[in-house]
Amino acid sequence: MDILFIIFIVAGLFFLIVAAIGVVRLPDVFSRSHAISLADSLGAFFLLVGIALHEGLGKNMLKILMVLALLYILNPVIAHATLRAALRSGLKPWQKETP
Amino acid sequence: MALFVFWIFLSASFEWTHLGLGLIFSFAVAWVNSGHSPFVPKFRLWLRILLYLPWLFYKIIQSSLNLSRLILHPALPITPQLISVESKLRHHAAVVLFGNSLTLTPGTITAEVDRNNLIVHSMDKNDDVAIKQIETKIAEIFKDEDPDL
Repeated sequence: MDILFIIFIVAGLFFLIVAAIGVVRLPDVFSRSHAISLADSLGAFFLLVGIALHEGLGKNMLKILMVLALLYILNPVIAHATLRAALRSGLKPWQKETP
Repeated sequence: MALFVFWIFLSASFEWTHLGLGLIFSFAVAWVNSGHSPFVPKFRLWLRILLYLPWLFYKIIQSSLNLSRLILHPALPITPQLISVESKLRHHAAVVLFGNSLTLTPGTITAEVDRNNLIVHSMDKNDDVAIKQIETKIAEIFKDEDPDL
């Protein structure tokens, strides 16, 4: 049980770190928001499931799973709103320079 | 009623003040919201959506690993682009589910929706295969419903 919990937490931290690196490395708003969605969908998923396993069966687990469900509903909404605002304000996506 | 059960789960205390407040608030919220949202339960549709979620989660893991590889790659081999997707879905709910699934999958984000035209920003050049897969899956879910778009 403890091993499983540690594996989940480490996997979540790995995806969060990759997402942070992505936010620094990627060129513009559009591609950076991809990195943030990576953090939300897998990083938060593994972290929260790990914590839920640690808490064990009970009402805390139920609350954590509810937070997870809400996160999965709200995260696309926020990403979509950000990107739509960027697109409507006339921002052009970064393109690779083609010779 | 469902809201009251929800309240009991959340507060997890059975004193009279808590239960009374929960009762009042849950009925107030239900009464305020009863005007709109004609919620008709369609069990087959919900069952299909429920069965669709594990598959979507598998796609999420797949594309997350792909995106992590792209980010950690030293040369940063990304090809960001805007794809205009003309979907053949004929339901409001189907288009909503489609856009939501695309945004939830790392690597593609829905940037603009206009009836059933979606503008999708994607990171990799062969993401359109995944978009097609998700679309056919959702069209299968909604194939028995009456079109409303």
